[in-house]
Amino acid sequence: MAKRGFNGVIMRSYGARDHEATVTGVEQIAPHFVRVRMTSPTLLKDVVVSPTAYLRFWFPGVDDPEVEHQRAYTLAEVDEQSGAFAVDVVLHEPAGPASAWCQRAEPGMTVAVTTLGSSRFDLPEDLPTGYLLIGDSASLPAIDAILRVIPAEVPIEVYLEEHDEHDRSIPLHAHPRARVHWVPRRGEASLAAAIEARDWSNWYAWAAPESGSLKHLRTRLRDEFGFPKSEIHAQAYWYYGRPFGNKRPKDLVDETELAAAASAGDEPATTAGIPGGQPDSAESTAAATAAAADTAARTGTRAPAAPPRGTWRAQAGGRLLAPLRSTLVIAGIAQAIVTLVQLAPFVLMVELSRALLSGAGTAQLWAIGIWAVALMGAGVLLSAALLLWLHAVDARFARDLRRRMLSKLARLPLGWFDARGSGQVKQLVQDDTLSLHYLVTHAVPDAVAAVVAPVAVLVYLFAVDWRIALVLLLPVLVYIVAMAIMVVQSGPRTGQAMRWAERMNVEAGAYLEGQPVIRVFGGPAASTFRARLGEYIAFLNDWQRPLSGQKAFIDLVTRPATFLLLICAMGTLLVTTGGMDPIALLPFLLLGTTFGARLLGIGYGLSGLRTGLLAARRIQVVLDEPELEVEAGASSADDALGSTETLAQNAAGRVESDRVRRVEPDRVGRVEFDGVGFSYRPGVPVLEGIDLVLEPGTVTAIVGPSGSGKSTLASLLARFHDVDSGAIRIDGVDLRSLPADQLYRRVGFVFQQTQLVHGTVRDNIALAVPNASDAQVEQAARAAQIHDRITRLPAGYDTVLGSDAVLSGGEQQRLTIARALLADTPVLVLDEATAFADPESEYLVQQALNRLTSGRTVLVIAHRLHTITGVDRVVVLDHGRVAEVGTHEELLHRDGRYRRLWDAGRATASTAAAPAAPVDASEAAR
Amino acid sequence: MIRTILGLLPTGSRRTVVAHLILTVIGLMLRAAGAVLIVPLVAALFEGDAGVAWRWLGALAAVTAVGWVVDIAASRRAFDLGFGLLDTGQRTVADRVSRISLRWFGAEHTATTRQAVAATGPDLVGVIVYLVTPMLAAVLLPIAIALALLPISWQLGLAALAGVPLLLGALWASGRFGRGADRVAAEANTELTERIVEFARTQQALRAARRVEPARSHAGAALAAQHGATMRLLLLQIPGQVIFGVASQLALILLAGTVVLLALGGELTVPQSIALIVLVVRYLECFTVLAELSPGIETTTGALRRIREVLEAPVDAAGAEHLATAGAPRIELRDIRFGYEPPHEGSGDAGRPVLDDFSLELEPGTTTAIVGPSGSGKSTVLALLAGLHRPEVGSIFFDGVDVSRLDAESRRAQVSAVFQQPYLFDGSIRENLLVGDPDASADAVRGAAELARVDSLVRRLPDGWDTRVGEAGGTLSGGERQRVSIARALLKPAPVLLVDEATSALDTENEAAVAAALTSDPVPRTRVIVAHRLSSIRAADRVVFMEDGGIVEDGTIDGLLAAGGRFADFWRQQDAASGWRIGERSVS
Repeated sequence: MAKRGFNGVIMRSYGARDHEATVTGVEQIAPHFVRVRMTSPTLLKDVVVSPTAYLRFWFPGVDDPEVEHQRAYTLAEVDEQSGAFAVDVVLHEPAGPASAWCQRAEPGMTVAVTTLGSSRFDLPEDLPTGYLLIGDSASLPAIDAILRVIPAEVPIEVYLEEHDEHDRSIPLHAHPRARVHWVPRRGEASLAAAIEARDWSNWYAWAAPESGSLKHLRTRLRDEFGFPKSEIHAQAYWYYGRPFGNKRPKDLVDETELAAAASAGDEPATTAGIPGGQPDSAESTAAATAAAADTAARTGTRAPAAPPRGTWRAQAGGRLLAPLRSTLVIAGIAQAIVTLVQLAPFVLMVELSRALLSGAGTAQLWAIGIWAVALMGAGVLLSAALLLWLHAVDARFARDLRRRMLSKLARLPLGWFDARGSGQVKQLVQDDTLSLHYLVTHAVPDAVAAVVAPVAVLVYLFAVDWRIALVLLLPVLVYIVAMAIMVVQSGPRTGQAMRWAERMNVEAGAYLEGQPVIRVFGGPAASTFRARLGEYIAFLNDWQRPLSGQKAFIDLVTRPATFLLLICAMGTLLVTTGGMDPIALLPFLLLGTTFGARLLGIGYGLSGLRTGLLAARRIQVVLDEPELEVEAGASSADDALGSTETLAQNAAGRVESDRVRRVEPDRVGRVEFDGVGFSYRPGVPVLEGIDLVLEPGTVTAIVGPSGSGKSTLASLLARFHDVDSGAIRIDGVDLRSLPADQLYRRVGFVFQQTQLVHGTVRDNIALAVPNASDAQVEQAARAAQIHDRITRLPAGYDTVLGSDAVLSGGEQQRLTIARALLADTPVLVLDEATAFADPESEYLVQQALNRLTSGRTVLVIAHRLHTITGVDRVVVLDHGRVAEVGTHEELLHRDGRYRRLWDAGRATASTAAAPAAPVDASEAAR
Repeated sequence: MIRTILGLLPTGSRRTVVAHLILTVIGLMLRAAGAVLIVPLVAALFEGDAGVAWRWLGALAAVTAVGWVVDIAASRRAFDLGFGLLDTGQRTVADRVSRISLRWFGAEHTATTRQAVAATGPDLVGVIVYLVTPMLAAVLLPIAIALALLPISWQLGLAALAGVPLLLGALWASGRFGRGADRVAAEANTELTERIVEFARTQQALRAARRVEPARSHAGAALAAQHGATMRLLLLQIPGQVIFGVASQLALILLAGTVVLLALGGELTVPQSIALIVLVVRYLECFTVLAELSPGIETTTGALRRIREVLEAPVDAAGAEHLATAGAPRIELRDIRFGYEPPHEGSGDAGRPVLDDFSLELEPGTTTAIVGPSGSGKSTVLALLAGLHRPEVGSIFFDGVDVSRLDAESRRAQVSAVFQQPYLFDGSIRENLLVGDPDASADAVRGAAELARVDSLVRRLPDGWDTRVGEAGGTLSGGERQRVSIARALLKPAPVLLVDEATSALDTENEAAVAAALTSDPVPRTRVIVAHRLSSIRAADRVVFMEDGGIVEDGTIDGLLAAGGRFADFWRQQDAASGWRIGERSVS
């Protein structure tokens, strides 16, 4: 085996396994940049493939091939099935071990590879506003991989340090919103200085440049721009050499020992006196001047406008908890006192022994006993008081928080709820507030206790006798090393275990769902699940079995009996030979045996804080969401619409007045989209330049392939979101200037997702008109074809929905139609339903819709073309723009986009019986 | 709990269990011996007798070292048992799931079962090592120490023995109070948050109805009222948090006090009494260790509880009679009652039965369409015929044989079915078809595929017959899945074919596939279809119209249409619905 120095020893002790990789091809990608393709039958089983994952290669030394040097390279291509992969290597002169090897590389050559410890890049669920990627040719493969996974709509700024004139010729994945800046290196500070001074709020920084540059970069990102630590991934991918050093892409400096070892063993001889020296010296002078220019440039950019420090969602939790900060500090101090008081009896036991030894009288012994009881009582009282106080504080805090949440929810755009779904809202309101409760009442005291107790014990024991105290750290050290080895050995398995858990959850769900099929068809139908279960069990076995010995070992090392033996051995030695007072042994025998367990409990005690802080962050992020604003000019809107102020009154005769108002001229309901543009994420327009007028009393259908923006357009009219540009007006009044109450007096909507409130059938129908008479409610229910069904419910109109009776989907839909009929808005937004439990239900919903759409300005999202052949106007949307407008007949004759949609629908639909011809893109494409 | 564990262990584990128990007990005795050895050692140190001290230290070292060896051996067996539990436990649960009465699977039970199948594995491995062994140690070690104390000082030994149940009781009470308080707090919290969740959930409706402000102030007021109640519950939090701490500190003071009294009375020497104080602390340590284990114990017992729940779920009993499949049978459902809520749960107040006193006879080889509004019980009839549910009252006869008396295999062989949700498993299309009949000939497969229009699908796919359908058939569209499931059902050589037609809008090919399954299938069968579309109904010899769990009309299509009853309405509505257009003012 070749010599690998200290580096190799460390790696082996971590259980790194060597795999042999065989070169299958080398491709020159740029003059100094090659892609080496290799294959290894076993290697990829050990790798968790993710963007930026890297492998560690052992390349033979240039001078002494017997000495191997470790270099890490990012996976550029990977095929887990076949075991084939590729890495990109920057070649440079003078060549180091990697360069030299890769220059010679040809199919058939082999190299040793290990997979130990790799980084991974994961997209979080909640994407940052943008990604700031920083690196150079060495980290380019990783950046390329990141660019491939970031969704197209997320903006990216890429800063690359240029070390070689050919650097720019290395291809980089083209991301639609990525901007690449090449920064020629003029010194360590030049890259950091080149980063644009701007507001980087909620961006995520991924930086993997040269080590010196990284140092400056960190300062700039953190101190000047305000990036929180959690939003920066910083890792040096190599570092600049000594005085006449040349560029040496080295192993990653993530584990300092490894890096140090590598640098010690790496080509020191090749640096001097070889051609590389010249450009280097040139560069060093250049660097000197650049450094001066740098400082000038940096002060220059900063002087006129200091870079604005951004704010990050990651910091939101702190803001939420700010009012509690002093409370928590006091609670922490109180808990520290409680912890110390709880340790006091042990100290008293030592004093008791001392008193016994010195032959003290009963009075003194009694005094100690009284002290013990008093301290115990004080401890109990104090901890109980602390607990009560924290719970009271928490209850008040939670109440205020819930109030704020209610107000916030009432003002968020409806689209916010649409985008999240009930599960996520529930998680926020239910689970996150619970985590907060735990954080305030338990996590903080637990964490304090977990830290204070071992520290106090340690200090006390060191004060008594530092030699024995030192011995106590021995098992702790063994524990830490053993754990570290175990973590490394588990390596990819930990991640795989999580994926297995997710996968089994899905599989188990499918297995349960598939039970009817499995029961009718028997064994073969269940065989895949069984096989998967077997694989999972085998995985757990392969992973955990080898570790069970280590787990038992760790348990032995940290158990009290081990500490007891160590204390006794050291104590006996010191007492018998060193003349130590045996009384000094007592504190150790009393407190020292559980010291290990206490120390190891710190991590556990602190873990409770994390979930709580994450929850706080999520809640604050919601509280920070922009609300729907009512623009000034609301009163002028009132003027424009006449006697609207009376509408705000909750008068008893409202329904009557509504009926009367229906014939008033101000209720015409003319809708106007004026140059409307909208996007969910900046720079990715969903709708652009929509100009559309819905004449009063007409039905307009929006059609288009899925993703064309038809649902978004409809939701804008119901003000689920505010438009980014242009305006939507109803009878000349901008939606945004209408208070919610006035807006929804004019616009109603019936979507596929029906929402029933908790209450009776009657409450639900009369939601908008609480004072409606029974006759009016019934009339609406009859019109919506739901009256008959309601009379069959256990308590008719007084049936409580949910607890007493469950309505089918179609019935719920008819109920909401009845609600909309009673609310009687002049403008209606409608999503035509496609899924029904049975044809009768479909028929009844259709009849109900007939009543609802009559006499109103209707905008309908159409999913089936044949249902809209009779509407007044069809609007065809395509990629967020209006492609065609006209009646069905006109559009058919025009032979354009609509015609194609129609023909595609015809192709899959049966002409007579099948009611369906979905026109979503996937179907239409066929 | 112990019984659940023993029940799950693989057969032949008895020896390992016994060995593990013996080793654990020996290990504990060694640990207790080590603890007690401190007494002479400390005494010797205080008396300044170096030689004696070194001798006792040697003994302590020897006992500790042997203890390590024994414990390693015990822990290896504990892991062996854990992996055994993992293997059989998971498989047992998975097997059991396929026999549990389907109506047991409510939302809650389904979630529990899902977790029991998918998420208990890692916990099972640790059950013995992290639950059983530490619990044993926590109970036995203090007892062993107390027993070892008896010869040194019988008074102290007795006090220590008495302390074991008291301290364990305190620990148990602490946990109980704590959990109780947590539950009350969680309930209060749930109540509070549910209002907000409800408020958030219904924002669309509330805003459209301009009821946001009233609802908000309403919810706000309720929150304030409940806040008061929560404050009053706070005192509940105290006992759980302090009981155990108080008890162990009190025990420390009392036991140490006893030692001091004995020393003062001259029954113990001073060095002895000091050593005994140390021993008292060691004795109390066991309980603290157990208290700190409790969070881990909770998760493990949670996993075991879920498994037990699945294992104790009601199972559909099968008979023992064997019945060979013959030609298309005459089917009779006689006086059936069935509801989805089992009658024994909820104190006899069972949910309304879906079917009550329901009877239906189907002639051999006929095709019957069951039609009716949703919730009328038509799919339930199909599920009963398929054997997915057992009638609570009444029987089902195939050619006069009561099917509840058949063994599981014979019962299964009688029926083939197409379900609304056509669950496919992750494999190739061919494999999915062969589930219907693993021994089917290539001709039979081709024939079934042709009837179900799977052949055209296969031709379109790049890998043809070997195309993988993905998890739960995810790579195919809904209609394609449906067709594969029809072919699968046709391939199964069962004399009864049941079809639950999909309600979602499907294409013409699917419609043709269903029609072919009913009319062109060469296997002689008695067929029943829950039909939604006119084309499927047309393929039937007879139509049964169901409403509210009963048959309201029964006859041929023409007969029922002529009668102008519910079915005629249904037919007309169906027609009207397919031709409906938005915004038309027509009244049909």
